[in-house]
Formats: sequence, C-alpha cells, structure tokens
Amino acid sequence: MKRRDFVKNVSLASVATPFMLKGLQFQTIAKELFETPKSTEDRVLVIVRLSGGNDGLNTVIPLDQYDNLMIQRPNIIIPESSILTLNTNNGLHPVMTGMKNMFDQGKLSIIQNVGYPEQNRSHFRSMDIWDSGLITANASTGWVGRNFDALYPNFPTDYPNSTYTDPFAISMGYQVAANCQGLMGNFSHTVEDPTAAYNVASSNVVNDGTYFGSHMEFLATIIDQTNSYGAKIQAAANAGNSLSTLYDPNNPLAVQLKNVAKMISGGLNSKVYVLNIDGFDTHDSQVLSTDVTAGKHSDLVKKLSDAISAFQDDLNLLGLEQRVAGMTYSEFGRQIASNASYGTDHGDAAPLFLFGSCLNSQIVGPNPVIGSQVVDQLGIPMQIDFRDVYASILKDWFHVDSTQIQTLFEHQVTFYNLLGACNVGLEENTLSKDIAILYPNPVYETATLKFNSENEWVKVDVIDFSGKTIDNPIDSIIEPGTHSIMLNLGHLQTGEYIISIQKQSGNQSIKMIKVKN
Amino acid sequence: MIPEEIIETPVSLNMSPYSGAWTKEQAAHLLRRTMFGATYQQIQSCVTDGMNASVTNLLSVPVINPPLTTSANEGISAFNTTWVNSVYPSGDTLPTENARVYSLASWTMEKINKEGFSIAEKMCLFWHNHFAAEATFDSRATYNYHNLIRTHALGNFKQLIKEITVDPCILFFLNGVSNQSFSPNENYARELLELYTIGKGPLISTGDYTNYKEQDVSAGSKILTGWTVDGMKSTTLTSPFAVFNPAYHDISNKTLSSHFNNTVVSDGGDIEYQNYIDIIFQQPEVAHFICRKIYRYFVNYDLTTDVETNVIPILAQTLIDNNYSILSVMQQLLTSEHFYDISLKGTIIKNPCELLFSMLNTSQSSPNYDLATNYEMYLNIYSFSGNLGQSYLSPPNVGGWTSYYQLPSYSRLWINSTYLKQRFDVGAYVSLYTGIQVNGNYFKINALQLLNGLSNPASAQSVINDLCLVFFPKAIDTLTKTTLKTIMLNGLPDFEWSDQYIAYSNDTSNSSLSNPIKTRIETVLYRIFQMPEFQTI
Repeated sequence: MKRRDFVKNVSLASVATPFMLKGLQFQTIAKELFETPKSTEDRVLVIVRLSGGNDGLNTVIPLDQYDNLMIQRPNIIIPESSILTLNTNNGLHPVMTGMKNMFDQGKLSIIQNVGYPEQNRSHFRSMDIWDSGLITANASTGWVGRNFDALYPNFPTDYPNSTYTDPFAISMGYQVAANCQGLMGNFSHTVEDPTAAYNVASSNVVNDGTYFGSHMEFLATIIDQTNSYGAKIQAAANAGNSLSTLYDPNNPLAVQLKNVAKMISGGLNSKVYVLNIDGFDTHDSQVLSTDVTAGKHSDLVKKLSDAISAFQDDLNLLGLEQRVAGMTYSEFGRQIASNASYGTDHGDAAPLFLFGSCLNSQIVGPNPVIGSQVVDQLGIPMQIDFRDVYASILKDWFHVDSTQIQTLFEHQVTFYNLLGACNVGLEENTLSKDIAILYPNPVYETATLKFNSENEWVKVDVIDFSGKTIDNPIDSIIEPGTHSIMLNLGHLQTGEYIISIQKQSGNQSIKMIKVKN
Repeated sequence: MIPEEIIETPVSLNMSPYSGAWTKEQAAHLLRRTMFGATYQQIQSCVTDGMNASVTNLLSVPVINPPLTTSANEGISAFNTTWVNSVYPSGDTLPTENARVYSLASWTMEKINKEGFSIAEKMCLFWHNHFAAEATFDSRATYNYHNLIRTHALGNFKQLIKEITVDPCILFFLNGVSNQSFSPNENYARELLELYTIGKGPLISTGDYTNYKEQDVSAGSKILTGWTVDGMKSTTLTSPFAVFNPAYHDISNKTLSSHFNNTVVSDGGDIEYQNYIDIIFQQPEVAHFICRKIYRYFVNYDLTTDVETNVIPILAQTLIDNNYSILSVMQQLLTSEHFYDISLKGTIIKNPCELLFSMLNTSQSSPNYDLATNYEMYLNIYSFSGNLGQSYLSPPNVGGWTSYYQLPSYSRLWINSTYLKQRFDVGAYVSLYTGIQVNGNYFKINALQLLNGLSNPASAQSVINDLCLVFFPKAIDTLTKTTLKTIMLNGLPDFEWSDQYIAYSNDTSNSSLSNPIKTRIETVLYRIFQMPEFQTI
C-alpha cells in the first residue's frame, strides 16, 4: 500500500510541460530526471510559537513610518541608526543579525499585519483562535490536527501501525501542541530529550463509556504510543546529525532546534515540529530605560533570531534545506503606543516570519500605517488573515488540495504564494469531481455540505452512531453542478454521525462530529 | 475530551442533599475531591461521622505555621524562626532571597503533606490557579499573597477580590504598580474582568465580550491607577504593603459600558477600586463564572448543557443569597446528590501535586528528620512536581494551569509521553526504590504505616480491597484485584501472608520479619502507581 501523506496521489507522471533546471531547458521524459523534489512526502514544517504577544513594531520596524512611531512610542523606539536595514522601508531589531543574514540570502520572509477579524485581546482566546484556525467559540481541534484527521482516520486508536510507525507531529518540551489537536486525540508527541530511553508499563483497561472509562482508554493509548514512538524517536536522534556550530547551548530554543535537526536527519518521518518560546507579554520593561536596544524584548528576539539562523545553517550543512520550512506566530501584536512602564499592552495584528529556502517572496503585504496622533488602545489592523497563511502553507508546502484545505476553515480561503519556490516538477493535485466536503467539522449549529452531481436523484441522510437515520435534508432530483447546502444541525446530540450522499454518479459518506456550543 | 464517544451522562442533576447510602465508596469520593490523599482511617471515620458532619469538618481552614529559616544564607532570621516579617540585609539581598524562596517552596509542599482532615489545601490551590500569580521578588510579598488566599479560602469572594486587587504580589504581577494616571497599564484591569470576576463571553461586536467591553478594560485601568507598593526588599520595613498615591490616580469620571449600565465611576480615591468591584459584583454572571470554575475543579471538566441548566444556576444563586460566601457553595456542592453520582467518579486526571500526595498522604508519610533535612526533602518533592508540569508558586501563565481551562483536553494535558514516564518513575522512586535521599537520610512511603492502618492487615484479600479503595476512584474488577494480590504475595497462597503478618505484628521491631512484609507492600504500590486508574480522582 502506498504511503499516504499530507499529500494524496501526487502524480508525477502528469507533468509533461518543459521546465527549467539550472538554466537549461529539458523536455521531461522520465521522472528520474527530476528527482528533486520527488514529492512533498518528506517535507517538514517547523512551527515556532512566540507566547505572550510579540511586539511586531519593535521586531520588524516600518522605516517609512518612523517619524510617527517616535510620537507613539518615544520611550521604547529603537534608534533609527541601530536598526538593521533590510530595504528602504523595512528594518529588523538590531540584535536580529542572524535573521538579517537569512533575509539577505533569501531565506526569510516577512508576512505583514497578520491577524484575524474582530481581534480578541485575551491571551487565551486569541491563542485558541490561532491554534484552532477557527473563530468559532470553543473550537476543539487545531488546524494541523484537522488536516491530519482527514488523512489518518481513527487516530489515535489505530496508531502507530506498520505503515505509520512515527509520530505525525512532535511537540518539543512538555506540552502537546494545541494546533495538532484532532477530533479524538492530539497528533503531537511530546519530546523533551529525544535520546532518552522510553519504556513504561503497558495496561489493558477498557472504556466503559463513562468519563472515567474514556480517560482509561486515553491513558492506555498514551502508554502504547510512548513506548513505540519513543523507540523510533530515540533511534532517529541517535542516528541523526547536527553540523552547525552556531547553536548557543544556553539558548533553549536553539537546543530544541538542534534536536529537531537531529531527528529529521536521523530519518524520523514526522511532518510537523512545534516549538515554543515564551515571555513576549511585555507590559513593562520591554526595553531598559537606560538602553532601548536592550531588555526583555531584545533578549527574546535575539534568542529567536540566533536559534532560527543556526537551524537554517544546520539544514544547509545537512543538505536538508529543500525539505524543511518554518514559520513563527504569536497570539497578537501589541498596541501602537507604548505605556509609561517602558512596555506595550495587548494589541492586534503583527508580522510573522517564514523561513527556509523555498520562499516565494520576501516581504508580503504593505507596511502598517502609523498615525501621528496617539489613540488610546489602538492596535495594528489586520490585512492578512492568519488562516490564509496556514492555508497557503498547506497548499504550497504539503500540496494539500485546495478543496480539502477549504474544509479545514470557516471562511472563504484566499491563497498567497508563500512557499512554492521548490515546487517545480509538482502540480497541484485536483480533487476528483465525486468528492463531497462538509465544513466546519466538528459542527456546532450549522454546516455547509458541498458536493457535485449530474442531473440526477440525490439523497442526503444524517445517520447516527447506531445506524439510525436522524434527518434527511435532500431527497429529490437536482440540477447538475456543484451544490452548497446549509445543514441545520443544532438539535443533534453531541457525538459522531455519518452524512451519507447517495446518487447514481457515486455515493459518498463523511464522518461528522457534533459538538455543543 | 469532547467529542470522544457517547459518554454516560450523570443520572442525577439534583442539587438537593444526597440521601443515598453512605458507605466507604461515597466517603472516599468526597475525600478524593477535597483532600490530596486521605488515609484508610480518614475514609473510615468519614463513614462513621456521616456526610453532613464530615463536610462540616472538611470546610474549615486550620491555622498553620509560616515558613521557617533553615539556611545560613538567610542572614537575618534565626534558624527555625520565620522570616516572613523580617527585613532584608543591606547590600546583596540575593542569598537571603534565595534562601527565602527555597523555604517558601518547601513550605508549600509541607502544608499539603500535612493537610489534615480539611479542604484547605485543595482550596488554596484552587485560588492559586484562579489568581495565578508568580512568586515575586520579595518572598514576604509572595507569602502574604498565599496567606491572603488561604485566609479567604472559604470566605467572602467579593472581599477576596478587593484584597487581591491591592495585594503587593498581584500589583507587581499584573503591572498595577506602573498603572498611572498619565499612562494607564491595562494588564490588571483586563484580567480582573476576564479571569477573576465576570469572565469573557463570546465576542459579539468589536470590543464587546458579552459580559464587558474594551471600554471597561480602559475605564477599569484608570479606576485602578495610583496604587503602588512600598517596602519591597526593604532593609527597614518588615513587610511590603500597598500604598495609594493620589498624584498618580486618574480623578476623571470613568464611564463603564452598557454591560454595567453605563455607570459612571467618579473619583473615589483609595476606595474607588472597591466601588468598581461592587459594581462588577452587581452582575449575577460573576457568581456563575466562579461557580463554573469551582465545578470544573471539584466535579468535572465537562459543563454539559444539563449542568449549565440545572447545577450552575443553583450554585450561583446560593453564592448570591449568601453574600458571596464560598463556604455556602462548597457546602451545597459537597452534600448534593449530583456530586455523588457514579458517573462523576474518576472524571479528573490528577494534577502533579494530587499525584504526588496521593502517594504520600494516604500513608501519612512525612519526612521526620531535623528541620533543614525535612525542608530539603520537601524541596525535592517540589522539584518532582515541577518536572511533572506544576510548580506551586509559579503557574505557567496568568490564566493558571492549562488543564483547568484548555478545551478539549482539560486535565488530560497533565498526561503525555514525557510526563507519563516521569509519573511512573516518581511512583517507583517513592515506593520500591530508595526514595528521596538528603544527607544520608531517606524519605519514601512508609509502607508499614500504610498497611497497619488498613481494616485487616493480616488478610491479603482485605489488604488489596482496602488499597483499591484508597488509590482508585472506582471499584476495580476481580481479575485486576487478583493480579495485584498475586504481585503482593509473589504467587504464594493467602495464608502465607497471614502467617507472616501475624509473626511481624508479634515482634514489630524485628526487621527480618518486617522487611519482607514491607517489600511486598512496596511492590504492589509500585504496580498500583503505574495503573491508569491511579491517575484519576
């Protein structure tokens, strides 16, 4: 059986157009000619979370707004002369020399003014939104997790198995990653020290259908995964390598990224690595009163910049640059005006970084516009929806079908060209016409069912756990084309259902999860 | 985790007093939720005393000693005396402060270890998670904060909020000290609404979180201006204290949003914050918010529609009717039919403190050496807890530990492959292995003390039954009990155990008789501590 991945059915044989390789034009005949990239199957995404809400305006400084920034944040603004200039309009915090070099080498992208509509300034709510990729209240899954759910059904019960021996995602440290939360379990496996031996006692408790029973099943699964995933991780970390000399052993993020490099180079097949660096909630003493280029925020962005540039150096030395890309994110930016305690309060949109050697462009989006009047509580308005960044990464980097991507989000997705520069030789996989999608899923009140039909009789049923038909929203002959119908499901009990679509041109069924609001 | 599968919902949502059977099962459930680790004898006397008397006894907060000096680095206070009202040395305060931080950390573990028959320590951790302040740079202020939440642990919630608002530790933690009229710092004002009192509802329009608006955060920050702290790390003042500085206070009128009836808060000087809190508490949502949190901590993470409809409003009304007395809510909850519903047993995965002290307190095992050694041993336990994801004195963020708020996993966040292995390792360490070693002294579970407190230590079957009652939240199947007994007896028939125990009890100082018994109990504990059932309460 072919190993499925983020990408299903990437067909290389369908590529028949001329393409450029090292300046020479080839007519593609044999797939052996374009081994790199063979597919996106072995690609890795590294996600670095900056917890607390990073002050974007002191990280990526809009040079064309500098005069007004002086008015807004006179006590924390970085002196113009010490800013690391990237181009006429953009500069980095002076300690971010590592990332500045990456930018100069084309290995760093800045996506400006990323946020979401109706910004929420609670850390918790905002981080939930960023991790889930959903604005819906009480979202229970993460954006990475939902994508994995579509590809690896029955996780975690049926995993690991002989086909999928490795964790789908790795969360460095002690906490599972909320963005990897799937419907039934979290796809991320925590790793503090990848070389540590794992062997814990197994268990054979049963789930008796109570909260307690459900916990028992969860614990038994974690025990099994701990043992089998642990052995694979240990083997990979021991077999793997790290060649860069730039990692600072006193920088925790750098140490973790070095371990990530070892695991990747040692052959671990995990698709996503999630790392965290916290402390960005700089309400006070963001800068030193005696030196605005030093202080809490300076220390943090230096660690970030040093660690990521060391990692990129390592990937280069290990020959892994084409396989690994990364992104940073933070729950929100901070307010435009600083406060009197040399800090900044919770704000709205902020820039995020992409890194790797397959970037499409270096600066995405215009600089924020800073006014000349101080407005109480004002943040940077969103220009790029964070969900579109996720969607574009899934499309560019993992070649997930755009229709499938749409099912992961509530809004109409817009794709940007972000990480597609290494995709020569790959074509987007189009979804066959007999696919049906339901979104959002899990469902709270309403969901949209999208499917194609000929001019034919179509019957859509909502079927419960026991096989009983609960609802029958469509049972008629309908016109040919793509249909979007709104299902009102607020009355259903929470639990699992099947949406069954029966028609002559092909039947489909979708597992649906109903959750309470 | 939602959704998971069809979950059996509580049979009873009835909040009227529980009137069913009162046996060891119900008593053990009550104590598992209100204490860190009840002994078999405590369960037994809870049965004897009955539910009402037991709950009354649990709902009191015993007086405890403050943290003591054990290190020469302290510099100011004498050995075996407390430093909580002592000045700092002039010059380098770091050695003193480090000594105090360690002392405080040991103290937090000691007070849980010696909790007695009381809900006090569970309540203290509840409030520490609610007002999730990190230790500040003057340990006296940190201690005072912990003392404050202990003093009001079962007291008046409104009064607690008022005192917390001007608590020096909190004033530093949420930047109240730098919140000044000419540049408000919103940090505390936001968390007061979002996390401490009324909670954030859905965002219904720009800046409107259903229960409050950004406007209220902004107004609140102005109301709270002017407070600062004096005496931090002072060489002359014996305790830090909050100071109101009128020059830094915003005297303008602050207009609250429609969620607070557009109330205008005019200048009220140093009691203006109290006026504001009174206005917040006029909203019944405050009572709902804190009762939900109590429910999640003491009953179940899953606030089902049924619970929202039938349980939370009853508790909230009780809170309001009793002038925000937390005791009244706890009394109602812990004697309600709903609380004892069978489907609500084992719904909570133990937090690291609950895990560790369910191993130690169930046998009343405490380090019993000189003060410095005992404190050092508690410091070891403190670091175990930290490695498992919970450092008392240092919640991970302002919202507390994620397990108490993070959808959908809640207490499952205490478990992952890293933590689970460490949980098992710690269990092995304090049961079968040598235990914590300090200066050649050892501290681990006192297995014989545990055994001798059971109903019939000479009967192997009875021992296993009692251990299952003490360590598991629900009845265990016969096969598992047989397996545990086989481990305890090393495959021998039951009478061999009886013979060995009787021989030992006739000559308890004979280690050649006691050691084999002790090792068998430790071996079965080692296994119990690795069972998934043990991870829950």
